[in-house]
Amino acid sequence: MLSNDVVENRRGPPGVNSRSLSSAHSAADLEILREIENVYFSSPVDFDAARYVLEHAPAPPTCESIEHMFTKLKRQQQVVSGKALHLISQQRDNCDKEFAEIQNIRTQLSLTLQTCRKAREHLRTASNHLTMSTFVILANFRKRQIIRSVLKCLELIRSLRSVESDVTELLNKKDFYSAIELILKSRKAAAAHKEYACITDLSNRLQDTLVLTEEKLDSVLSSLCFKFDKDVFTKLRKAYGLLGKTQAAMEQLHMHYSSAVNESSVAALKKYTGEASIDTKFQNLCASVPSGKAPACVLDLCENLFYIMRSYYLLVDWHSKHDEEPACTNVFDIQKNVSREYIRQKLKAGLLRIWHDVQGKVSIFLKSSGLEDYPFEKFVQILGVLRKLTQIGEVFCGDKSDVLEDFIKTQSVVYIQNYHRGRLEELKLFLENEAWEQCPVKSTFNLLNLQEFKQFKKYLNRSDGVVTKNQSENASSVTSQDDSVYVTKYFKYDTSSSPFDMFRNENTTNDDIFGLEPDMPSDDSEDEPDELKRDFVEENDRHGYATTGNNEALSPSKVRHSVIVANTTLSVLRNCGQYLQICRYLPQTALEVVVLMNQLYDYYFYTVHTFFTSDLDVSSTTLYTTKLTALLKRITNSLENGGSENRHFAGPEQPHHLDLSSESNLHGLSERIVAVESVIFLAKQYEMLQPYLETMVAPHQRLILEHFRDNTLAVVADLRTPVYMCSASKSVDARTALVAMSQVKWDVKNVAVEHSPYVDMVVRKLQVYALRIENISNRVTLNREVLNSIWTVVSKYVIHLLVEGFSNATKCSNGGRGLMQLDYTQLLLKLEKISGLKPVPHQDYVDRYVKAYYLPRKGLEEFVVEHPEYSTKHLVALVSCACENKKDRQALISLIEEKEIPN
Amino acid sequence: MSESYEYLFKFLVIGSAGTGKSSLLNNFIGNKFKEDRCHTIGVEFGSKIVNIGGKSTKLQIWDTAGQERFRSVTRSYYRGAAGALLVYDITSRDSFNALANWLRDARTLASPNIVILLVGNKKDLEDSREVTFTEASQFALENELMFLETSAKTGENVEEAFLKCSKTILAKIETGELDPERIGSGIQYGTNTTKRLTAPKRPARTPSECACRV
Repeated sequence: MLSNDVVENRRGPPGVNSRSLSSAHSAADLEILREIENVYFSSPVDFDAARYVLEHAPAPPTCESIEHMFTKLKRQQQVVSGKALHLISQQRDNCDKEFAEIQNIRTQLSLTLQTCRKAREHLRTASNHLTMSTFVILANFRKRQIIRSVLKCLELIRSLRSVESDVTELLNKKDFYSAIELILKSRKAAAAHKEYACITDLSNRLQDTLVLTEEKLDSVLSSLCFKFDKDVFTKLRKAYGLLGKTQAAMEQLHMHYSSAVNESSVAALKKYTGEASIDTKFQNLCASVPSGKAPACVLDLCENLFYIMRSYYLLVDWHSKHDEEPACTNVFDIQKNVSREYIRQKLKAGLLRIWHDVQGKVSIFLKSSGLEDYPFEKFVQILGVLRKLTQIGEVFCGDKSDVLEDFIKTQSVVYIQNYHRGRLEELKLFLENEAWEQCPVKSTFNLLNLQEFKQFKKYLNRSDGVVTKNQSENASSVTSQDDSVYVTKYFKYDTSSSPFDMFRNENTTNDDIFGLEPDMPSDDSEDEPDELKRDFVEENDRHGYATTGNNEALSPSKVRHSVIVANTTLSVLRNCGQYLQICRYLPQTALEVVVLMNQLYDYYFYTVHTFFTSDLDVSSTTLYTTKLTALLKRITNSLENGGSENRHFAGPEQPHHLDLSSESNLHGLSERIVAVESVIFLAKQYEMLQPYLETMVAPHQRLILEHFRDNTLAVVADLRTPVYMCSASKSVDARTALVAMSQVKWDVKNVAVEHSPYVDMVVRKLQVYALRIENISNRVTLNREVLNSIWTVVSKYVIHLLVEGFSNATKCSNGGRGLMQLDYTQLLLKLEKISGLKPVPHQDYVDRYVKAYYLPRKGLEEFVVEHPEYSTKHLVALVSCACENKKDRQALISLIEEKEIPN
Repeated sequence: MSESYEYLFKFLVIGSAGTGKSSLLNNFIGNKFKEDRCHTIGVEFGSKIVNIGGKSTKLQIWDTAGQERFRSVTRSYYRGAAGALLVYDITSRDSFNALANWLRDARTLASPNIVILLVGNKKDLEDSREVTFTEASQFALENELMFLETSAKTGENVEEAFLKCSKTILAKIETGELDPERIGSGIQYGTNTTKRLTAPKRPARTPSECACRV
């Protein structure tokens, strides 16, 4: 449109121009143009100019008309072409101008297009960046989440599948808590994932694993009975806590302990019984242990039981350490506390129960093991083991273990009695074979020189018993305290050793076993052990075989402090030492030991009396003191019917080998001396022991000791008289002497100047006796004391012989009485010289008797009443001689006879 | 304590000091060997029941001190011994040299019929041997003794020594060479056999019997 406008505008000016240029042509040209039919201006497509002309050709086609028409058309064409040319040239600039314009627009358009394109491009990237990626991220993220949760589930399932093996591994690592935790967690997880089909299966398996694990825990729990491990237990405890079964576990544990006691005792025995006994009762099992192996067996038994006790002790200990009391704030805590309290009570009761079980086992074993026949060493060892066990019991539960203590006591008493029976039998054998030769011991010898008494040295050496007593009491209390500390050590420390280890050590002494204080070398004993090692015998003849009899040099007067002991004496003392050693280990049996020791003495004493007074031919009541008679009666009674306590024992048989009848050896005087003096020595040694024994027995039992000392030991010297009398009474033959005396006339008027001949005869006999005694000193060291006692008995015999002889005189004058005085004074004078006794003992006896003759009637009556030591015969003879008045005589004689009746 | 036996033999162990007599006895009756034991004082005693040829026999063994100073004490125990172990120490020539004296003592004091077995003790100390086996055998032959070498420490031949001696005694009883009923024979009938000569001894160890005796 616009272009049309532009064309119109531009036509104007050129039109003006063309008018001016060719006004002539224009008018004609215009005329021609106007004459051009319109049809020619039609579009060549639907108008065919040629045809049109032909159609419109003039009617009679004359050459003129055609010529005309041609010219016209030619003209028209020229005009049109000219006009067209004119128009074209007229419009050319405009066209160029327009064309440039068009070109310009074209470039601009393409630029715009380019920009648009660019923008779109940018926009596209921008949109790409901003929206698409975010969504992809989101989408991916979501995907990932999903995959993750799937993975988790898968992992869970996988882990659930491996729970079984993991648990086993944890259990092997003893991480019970984690194991249980794992199982419980797995169970929870399994419960949370019920939607998976495989889970049901798995959870069943988990349940099985849990059960198995609990079983495993239980077995670990039971293994704790044998060796408590606090780490393991702590773990177990936590695990059970997690299971909520703490209390049940404790009950289970107690059951395990019970069966552990059983099991380990059976195990201890099985080692010794061999395979013969399977599944028998414990009691039968005990009985089938060979007796030789019992000591080792009891040791094993106690040791095994100790391990269980230690384990339990540590368990209790653990609880007391780990059960601090939290404040109970809520119901749950209170419940927990109740449970804790329950466990505490249970544990406390368990201590006693286990100890009771242990004691039961040991007692059953001991009862069927025939303890009393063991050798001493073994017995002591067993006792040591038991003692240790009681100490353990005391530390374990504070129980004084009456069962065991009683058992030990009764067994000890039985053992000692049995042991004693053996010793008595041995003593009997010793005594029956004893030759009553003096053993060559040092003059300072006493029981402390014997090795058996080495341990008692420190108690016996003290002069005052009070100190000894206090010390020994202190010592014992201290050691018992030490003992418990010592035993506690084995409970506390985690050692594999047991207090029974010492029994397996060969070097362990009984002192160690019994925790007695070792022998401290006291200040004065420096040189004594050497002395013990060397013998305590006299070193007088160390030379070769043939040099016998060089102790002839010892004259009786020179030996002042000899000690006379026989072989059997030493053996009795050694036995005493053994008894005291037993007693040291078994203080409860002290009284029994004392009684049995006294029995040894009694037996020895009795034997000496029986052997050496069997040939006593002097019957005089004055030979035996009342105490001696009572003592012999007591011993005889106890030997013959010792009652139900089987303590009685047959007396020894008189040996064949003792020669008590030959005059040349003074009727066995040397043997008699050794025998009697050895009893006296023995009594002295017993007396030395008394202060020590007093410290051992209970205060109310000391009376027994006192009684023994006063009525048995103190009486020992009285034995000399009857025994020596057997020999002394043969020094002067009584019959010959009496006959000789009867030949003397006592009714002489005047006092004689010289003593009677029988005195010389008696003196001669006594001299022979003295010589023979001198000979005996080759075999026995005769000290003054022994000699004196022999001579005292001899003089007693001689004096009694005199009184007997004098009483035979039916008629006696004053002169005769004087002769009697002369005779006995002479005899006593000689006896004094021979015997070395000054004054001769018992001389009052004859002196008084002879002088009573001079008493007035009243004095005589008093004499008769006050002197029962003279026999009725003596007194009657005295009265017959002294009383001239017949009436008085009758009265006195009847008085004497009356007096005799009650006797 | 219920011991029963058919015969009781009294045995001696004699020989010089330090030859190991007590150790032999202790080994025989089942005690431990002690390296340094003291000299025996006087006489000690041990007994054991052994089975010899099916007969249980109680040996009553007197272990004497070897030291000279105890000679007077120990000699009195020789009386009526049925058997003796005469002990010397193979490491001590002196102990071997003294044998003749010991032998004389035994034969005169105990009984001419006493069965004696010569024992060379301390066989374990071969290194310090001073008396050869041949030499001792010769001595035994000459004096009609049996002979064994023993070690109380290791226990070698200890039991054999006692048993051999006992067997010989038993054999002599069976052949009639020894008469158990002769006083001082050192042989007694035990609880199992009827006693012919000795008055029946009241068994001390059966309490019930005695209790009802009154």
